Amino acid sequence: MSFWRQAGLSYIQFSAVCARAVRQALKPELREKALVRDQSFIKSTKWADGKPSKRVTNTNMNT
Amino acid sequence: MFAKTAVVFVPQCTQVRGMATLKDIRMRLKSVTNIQKITKSMKMVSAAKYAKAERELGPARSYGQGAQTFFEQAEIKQDSEKPNHLAVAMTSDRGLCGGVHSSVVKMIKHTLAEKKPGTQTKMIIIGDKAKAMLQKIYGGDILLSFNEIGKKPPVFADAAKIATEILDLDYNYDYANLYFNTFKSVVAYRTTEAPIFSLANMTQGTKLNLYDSLDDQVLRSYNEFALVSTVYFALKEAACSEQSSRMTAMDSASKNAGEMIDKLTLTFNRTRQAVITKELIEIISGAAAL
Repeated sequence: MSFWRQAGLSYIQFSAVCARAVRQALKPELREKALVRDQSFIKSTKWADGKPSKRVTNTNMNT
Repeated sequence: MFAKTAVVFVPQCTQVRGMATLKDIRMRLKSVTNIQKITKSMKMVSAAKYAKAERELGPARSYGQGAQTFFEQAEIKQDSEKPNHLAVAMTSDRGLCGGVHSSVVKMIKHTLAEKKPGTQTKMIIIGDKAKAMLQKIYGGDILLSFNEIGKKPPVFADAAKIATEILDLDYNYDYANLYFNTFKSVVAYRTTEAPIFSLANMTQGTKLNLYDSLDDQVLRSYNEFALVSTVYFALKEAACSEQSSRMTAMDSASKNAGEMIDKLTLTFNRTRQAVITKELIEIISGAAAL
């Protein structure tokens, strides 16, 4: 079992962390453009009994 | 005695043709011209956005196709006879783009009507448009909804958020589909469904031995990656078809406004002529009476 799976991450979260690390390591002129692709504004809402309940603005993708 | 309550003449409809005064027509002409200006500029904006979306669509397509090819090659299938179904509706927050959103909703409603009895379908809704259309009838079946989609072009991080939420669901689905619009050309899009496989479905693939060194961990990771790829691909396709559809919708709106302006200008000129003629007649007949 891989170390990130043991830490409770999914492959999506693991690859997002890797991608962020690569973006941070880019040369400054390229980094600016790449960092824009890292921004996500999507909001999610959980529903219970036919009504929207809890609003989760940031899922654990941005930790 | 009844004089006070005498009927005051009120015209039933002031917009009857020929009854409209010059001022009415001028005002209407002005408002239609303004509307045309707005639709024209909206068309220009969406044309620029569409060009960008189409440019980005090519690279994004390979993500979705890669995932789908794997499922086809490994002959992974899902069984619609099983009870727990999931439908994911891919739309956006923005309207004024023809029928892109309602065709997704229509397709979902159509498939729901054909489901076998004994199955239940839960929904995940992406975009406010589908939410508005589906929550009245299927409100109790909605598990998750996403919004703030469509203002900016979708990025992989958006897909990652959606996919993570889908993976974290408490609901164990056996049969899941993602409904979205695939971009065909500037004037055409096709509403398609793409299967979303759960891990349980994936491990039951009959031809998985085609692939080397697969263990449960690799399969689980690939299942997650395939989900996020499919969502990313669908987001991009939906964004591109939405922008192209908005472009055509706004184009025809400006064309219709143009036709209306032509008609109104004609009426305006006719009415002006009529007014002038009327005044001339009054003057001449007044002079003749003297």
